[in-house]
Amino acid sequence: VTATKRWKGDAIEAAAAAQGIALAPGRAERLAHGQQALLEASAADRLRASLAFEAEPAGFLLAIERCKTG
Amino acid sequence: MSDPALLSLAQAARAVRERRVSPAELLEACQARISLWQPRINAFVAREPSPTHRAGGPLSGVPLAHKDMFYRAGRVSNCGAKIRRGWVAGETSAALERLDAAGAVQIGSLNMSEFAYGPTGHNEHFGDCRNPWNRDYIAGGSSSGSGAAVAARLVYGALGSDTGGSVRLPAAACGVSGLKTTWGRVSRYGAMPLAASLDTIGPLARTAGDCALILDAIAGHDPRDPLSARESVPEHAALLDRPPSFKVALSSAWIERHADPEVAAAVLAAAGVMRASGATLAEVDAPDFDTLSAHCLVVMQAEASAQHAQWMRERPGDYSSVVRARLEAGYAIPATTYLEVLRLRAAWLERFCSETLAGADFYLVPAVAVRIPTLAETGPQGGADMPRLLAEVTRLSRWVNYLGVPALVVPCGFDSRGLPIAAQLVGRPFAEATLLAAGHAFQRATDWHQRIPA
Repeated sequence: VTATKRWKGDAIEAAAAAQGIALAPGRAERLAHGQQALLEASAADRLRASLAFEAEPAGFLLAIERCKTG
Repeated sequence: MSDPALLSLAQAARAVRERRVSPAELLEACQARISLWQPRINAFVAREPSPTHRAGGPLSGVPLAHKDMFYRAGRVSNCGAKIRRGWVAGETSAALERLDAAGAVQIGSLNMSEFAYGPTGHNEHFGDCRNPWNRDYIAGGSSSGSGAAVAARLVYGALGSDTGGSVRLPAAACGVSGLKTTWGRVSRYGAMPLAASLDTIGPLARTAGDCALILDAIAGHDPRDPLSARESVPEHAALLDRPPSFKVALSSAWIERHADPEVAAAVLAAAGVMRASGATLAEVDAPDFDTLSAHCLVVMQAEASAQHAQWMRERPGDYSSVVRARLEAGYAIPATTYLEVLRLRAAWLERFCSETLAGADFYLVPAVAVRIPTLAETGPQGGADMPRLLAEVTRLSRWVNYLGVPALVVPCGFDSRGLPIAAQLVGRPFAEATLLAAGHAFQRATDWHQRIPA
């Protein structure tokens, strides 16, 4: 797993501002802490390393079809 | 007949068909209980002044009410939000159309978390919904009114939506049965969206059999929902009485280690009941709940924040502080992370079906790993421990939405404070019939679902 740069409050604020969103006052640092933990938990996924290059989001629909019978 | 409001949906529908009770008598019985309970639990946000129904369907004359996010043309759908307060829908949702066709009577709209984006049932715009077993405790969310109204026997069943646990959490907290359907099984047309890749619609009712009756009415392809599945729909209610020789996968060691001891004891006892009824149990490694839950949250945050982007730009002050904060978080999800998580989804579903379920019919796990918390602990003033507690409440629900599979929640006990405990049966895509039959068999062997809050 590649180490990710830590989110800071000002980066969260800038990301939101770039999308036209103003954060509530005093919220940025707390959001940064929460998002850091969430993105680290997601990035720790062991299956990432074996994810096929060709895998695409819509492949999930085919997986549902394949998995529906035991 | 003793109080008809205490019948199950199946019993009430049969009583109407056999003319042992009239729809008017059912309505009157429910309205009497609503008058008694509404001031205590705030389950309803609106009551239908003159309910009508189509005579002759399988649910003919049975009073239901639904989460206030299922649109009906010409009627208000507030979605638990200040922004949508008084908004009048231009179309009727597919789920309501189908219930109308089945003869059900909609007698009102039910409280919910703001925009279905909260797991507890707090709502600063319409008032918190409270747990009928103890008003100090959460009803669970986001279909809070659906869980509370069914538990208090104000209606025979209710629709909810489930994006990260919003059918199952209130069903568990309130001690009723709740079915999270396979993604695509029930049309979302005319229902308020939260996160399209995760959103599902399902019933909350007094028994698994009652859930089957509602599912039979609402399931099936709908061309107006682009993600609606074309899979054929079995008659779930007709399949309830299959022999209870289910193969059940579970992870007892995980449950004993991670769940509250009272929850663990009740769910493992439920497994024992299933075995005594003819099921075979197989111990398996627990799925990676925390990774799957994080993936679910990445998808939910990104999609919900995109859905709300315009209002978040134009009127952020009209959201509650808590929901605004949840939406703000979504603007910091990198698009590449969001898409990578969606690319991983197929592999995780296949792993769950081949390794966790393997040859089993379903995976048994608690609906909620902790005991149901109080409104105060989980509300805006909940303090520093509140985020951790909310994460515990949703730990065993979100992973199911990421996988897109169905899950049935059934009550399986009460904790030492008198709050319900629930088991969750998680199956393969479109295995609702198996889950409902297993829940039905469990409820024939137990009476947890028959307990009624005083």
